[in-house]
Amino acid sequence: MSDNRREQRSGSWLGLVLRDVQFWVPVAVLAAGLLVLRWIS
Amino acid sequence: MLCGLTAGAWLGAAEAPTKLVTLGLSPVVISLSMVIGVFLARWTLPALIQGTSYVAADLRQAPHLIVWAVLAGCLWAVANTLTIFAVRDVGLSIAFPLWNSNSLLGIFWGILFFQELRGADWRRWVGVLGGAALMFAGATALAIASAAQVPARDAVRGVAAALAAGVLWGTMYIPYRKAYLTGMSPLSFITFFTVGELGMMTALAVTYSGGVSPLWSQLSGARHVLFWLLAGGFVWVVGDLFQQYAVKYAGITRGIPLSNTNQLWGLLWGILVFGELRGASHSVLAQVIGGSIVMAVGAGVIALSSVSGSEHARWQKAAASEGERYGVDPEYTRSRIAGKDASSIVRGRTWIDWLVVSVATATIVGFALMARAPQLAVAWGWAAGLVIVTLAMLAAAGVRLWRATRFN
Repeated sequence: MSDNRREQRSGSWLGLVLRDVQFWVPVAVLAAGLLVLRWIS
Repeated sequence: MLCGLTAGAWLGAAEAPTKLVTLGLSPVVISLSMVIGVFLARWTLPALIQGTSYVAADLRQAPHLIVWAVLAGCLWAVANTLTIFAVRDVGLSIAFPLWNSNSLLGIFWGILFFQELRGADWRRWVGVLGGAALMFAGATALAIASAAQVPARDAVRGVAAALAAGVLWGTMYIPYRKAYLTGMSPLSFITFFTVGELGMMTALAVTYSGGVSPLWSQLSGARHVLFWLLAGGFVWVVGDLFQQYAVKYAGITRGIPLSNTNQLWGLLWGILVFGELRGASHSVLAQVIGGSIVMAVGAGVIALSSVSGSEHARWQKAAASEGERYGVDPEYTRSRIAGKDASSIVRGRTWIDWLVVSVATATIVGFALMARAPQLAVAWGWAAGLVIVTLAMLAAAGVRLWRATRFN
């Protein structure tokens, strides 16, 4: 990968995270965990 | 492997202060206090070992990991709160192995997302799947035992809380693996992890306490025992740090099961120090001790199934793909995965590091001066014995890790 391309990617790292499907798995689990906590507390 | 076993001892000891929930303290107050201890430790240890300038340089290489670290911290905070509800409802010795089912989920995510076990031979698959089956059998025995110990409603809630904590912690290994495939130092990762942890825990504590004022009055009322909870958080960080080194250098499928020997330490603390299960029938005792040992054997079987060369090649492929996705310098990733410093990173401590360490130390000393021994029935002889063994493991693993990696 060229340095220019790498710099472009570094500039939009937040967008890259949000487009990463693996990011949404922990987000969904976190939401489910909060629901369980609400149920048992 | 030494890191994984040391992590087990320290993570087991860290849960001992959660027994304060039996004194009537609110679970969210307990969890918040532990998280404050965790926060102090997670800024102090990296500042002492590597310096905050090293952490900053690390983050400049992979800034996207800040988001992942904060998310992992949020998962940790919710999971830790759930464990305290579980300890309240079914006890430490039963709840601990149940939330340790997180290693199974960690393995699942490792296979699904990070190419772990791809290219492994049939013996490794049998080892991992056989170990997983043993852990499931052990967990079932413990769930049955918990039903015999407490009212059915408490048992259902306690088991659900412990298993939910396991799911959250198991999923937390997705962000962990992201960090280590990129080559980030565990010390740098946890520095931002703890921001998510403290933020989420504060939000939970304020919500479940009914506002800031009620929370403050609960914390003030509990000030004499807050030190023990802070200390629990601090001890947890030491264990977690060794767990992260184990994951970094041995992979999720080996590192986590090794550190999950913490449940045996939890069993020892629960039964020997706090007298849990006193008066329980022989069959319940057999189920609890047998179930916990079966789960630990399952973890051992997984941990001891060796990683093949082709698996290592798959990890490197996953690391390259991760670097490509986020635009990380390949030289940085290669050198850090090999346990070396990237050429652009310089170690050194500044006045900021000493300020962080001084503030954290003063806070802990302040709470220690206010502390009183909690009104719990504790077998101090057993407690001292377990503390000595735990410290000896820290010394042995710390020296070996420093010689091998300089804490990279």
